[in-house]
Amino acid sequence: MAAVRSLRREVAVVARLDFAEVLRSRWLVFCLVVHAALAAMFVLVGLRESGVVGFTGMGRALMSWSHALLFLLPLLALSATSQVVNTARDDGSLELLTSHPVSRSAYFLGVSLVRVAALVVPLLVAMPAVALGGVFAFGQDVPWGFLLRGMAVSAALLLCFTAVGLALSTLVRNQGKALMLTILVWAAAVALVDFGLVGVMLQWELPPSAVFALAALNPVECARLALLSAAQPELSTFGPVGFFLANRVGSDALFALGLGWPLLLGVTAWVWSLGAFRRRDLL
Amino acid sequence: MRVEFAGVGKRFGRVAALRDVSLELPPGSRTALIGPNGSGKSTLVRALMGMLVFDGELRIGGVRVDDDRASLAPRIAYVPQIAPRFAAPVRDVVAAIARVRGVSVDAVAAVARELDLDVGQLGKRPFRALSGGQRQKVLAALALATDAGLFVLDEPTASMDPQSRLAFFRLVERLPASTTVVLCSHRLDEIRRLVDRVVVLAEGVVAWQGSAAGYLEEHAEGVVEVQVAGGGADRWLADRGFSCGAAGWWSRSVPVGERARLLADIGKSLNGQVRDVVARDVERLQPKENGGGS
Repeated sequence: MAAVRSLRREVAVVARLDFAEVLRSRWLVFCLVVHAALAAMFVLVGLRESGVVGFTGMGRALMSWSHALLFLLPLLALSATSQVVNTARDDGSLELLTSHPVSRSAYFLGVSLVRVAALVVPLLVAMPAVALGGVFAFGQDVPWGFLLRGMAVSAALLLCFTAVGLALSTLVRNQGKALMLTILVWAAAVALVDFGLVGVMLQWELPPSAVFALAALNPVECARLALLSAAQPELSTFGPVGFFLANRVGSDALFALGLGWPLLLGVTAWVWSLGAFRRRDLL
Repeated sequence: MRVEFAGVGKRFGRVAALRDVSLELPPGSRTALIGPNGSGKSTLVRALMGMLVFDGELRIGGVRVDDDRASLAPRIAYVPQIAPRFAAPVRDVVAAIARVRGVSVDAVAAVARELDLDVGQLGKRPFRALSGGQRQKVLAALALATDAGLFVLDEPTASMDPQSRLAFFRLVERLPASTTVVLCSHRLDEIRRLVDRVVVLAEGVVAWQGSAAGYLEEHAEGVVEVQVAGGGADRWLADRGFSCGAAGWWSRSVPVGERARLLADIGKSLNGQVRDVVARDVERLQPKENGGGS
C-alpha cells in the first residue's frame, strides 16, 4: 500500500512538471486549433444533401472528419511524443528527477499520462462540441452512435501512436534521428493502407494473402475499417482488404479488431519501452 | 554512509569510460573527484547515482546500487552540474521535489535564503527563465535541505557568484560529521574548503588518491598579487621576480609552502607602501614528481 502511495506521489510530481512543459509548448492549444479547423472545414463543406457511404448531413461531415483524423492523429501523436524522453535526457531534467526519489517507472508513467491527456482531451472535447454545434447552429440530426464510434476509434489510434512515439523517444537517443523515424513511421502507416498495398502487390507481385495481412496489421487501416464497419460493406468504399474482412468476420468483429489491434499494439509498445527505460542506461 | 566501488567498469560502445575502478569512501569522508574532461568523473558519478548499467559492484551503505535504488534514493542528495530548464514555475518545481523528498518548502526556502535567493519572490517565474546561477542555487537548496547521508555535488558552484559560493561552502561545512560528500570539481578553493581527500581519474582509471593537503601541495601553485604606492616598492618587487600587470598590480607565482614567508617579507619590507595584497591558488599544469599520494 505504501508502495502504491509512493508511486502515485511520484507520478503526480512528474505529471505536474511535464504538464507545465506541455502548456508552454502550446500542444493543447495546437491540437484544439487543428481539430477546430478540420471540423469547421468538414462541417461547412459536408452539410449538403448528398450521401457518402450512406451518411448524409451531420453524419457525412463527421464521417469525412473522422476519416481525415485517421491520417492526422498518428502524426500529431508521434510528433508530440517522439522527443519526450530523449529531450529530458539532454536537458538534464531526467537526471535531476531520477536523482530524487522518483522511480523510472513513475517518470515514464507520468509523462505518458500527460501526453495521452494532451492528445485525447482535445479530441474528446472537439468531437461532441462539433456535433452539438451541428444540432444548435444548423438544426441537424447527429448520428450519436457513429460519433461514439469515431471517438473510440480515434482515441485508440492516438493511444497506439502515443506509445509508439514514446518508444521512439526512449530507444533513439539522438533527437534528429527520432524525428526522422517519426516521419518514416507516419508515412509508412499512412501509405500502407490497402490501396497503397495493392500498388505494392502489383509492383512486386506479392501474394494477395500477404498484402491483406500487411494491411490488417497497419493500425491506421484497422482504425479505418472500424470506422466504416457500421456501413454496408462495398468494395468501392471498404477497399479490397476491408471488403474481404467485413464479409468474412462481420461488422462487429471488424469494429472490435479496429479498436483492439491499435490498443494492443500501443500497450505492447509502451510496456516494451518501459522495460527498456528501466533496464538500460538512463543517460 | 560508506561508499564502495569494487572493479567498476563501464563501456560506451568501444570506448571504456571506466576501467576496474576500486575505491572506498568511509562514512563521513569528504572526497573530491578530479580529472580532465573525458577522464570518467561524470560516468563514475552517474554510476553512483544508479543512472548507468555498469560492470563490477557499487555499494552505498552496504546496499548494492543496482539492487535497491528505491531504498537508497531518499538517502542521497545530488546537485547536478546542469540545471534543467523546467517550464513549471519555481514554486511548483520546489514544491514537487520537496514533496518527494519529504522536506518542507519552508526548509528549502530557508537554505535558498542563505544562498541569497528569495524563492518566494521568484515563485511565479518559470524555472527556465531563471539565470544559470539562480537555478543552481535552487537545486543546491533542494539538496541541502534534506537530511541525506550522502551528498553528491557535481561542480555545484560553477554558475554561482563569489558571495553565494562562500555561502554554499558554509552550508556544506555545516553538514553533520557523519555525512559523506563526493564533490566533482576543478576549483582549488572548493578542494581546500570542502574535502579532506582527493581521487584523480585519468582515462577511466584511478590515477592518484590521497589527502587533499597532499594534492594541493602537488598540484596547486600560490600566486601573490600586490598593489603598491610606487617608488622604491616597484624595484623591490621587480628584484624578487614580480611582474607588473594592469592597474599597477604586481604578481608572481610561488610554491604554496613558501607563500606565507613571502607575504611576511612584503609586510616587513614594504611597510606603508602596500595598498592591497591578494594571495590565491592556481592549478599547476605539471604536477610535482614527489607527490604524497598513492
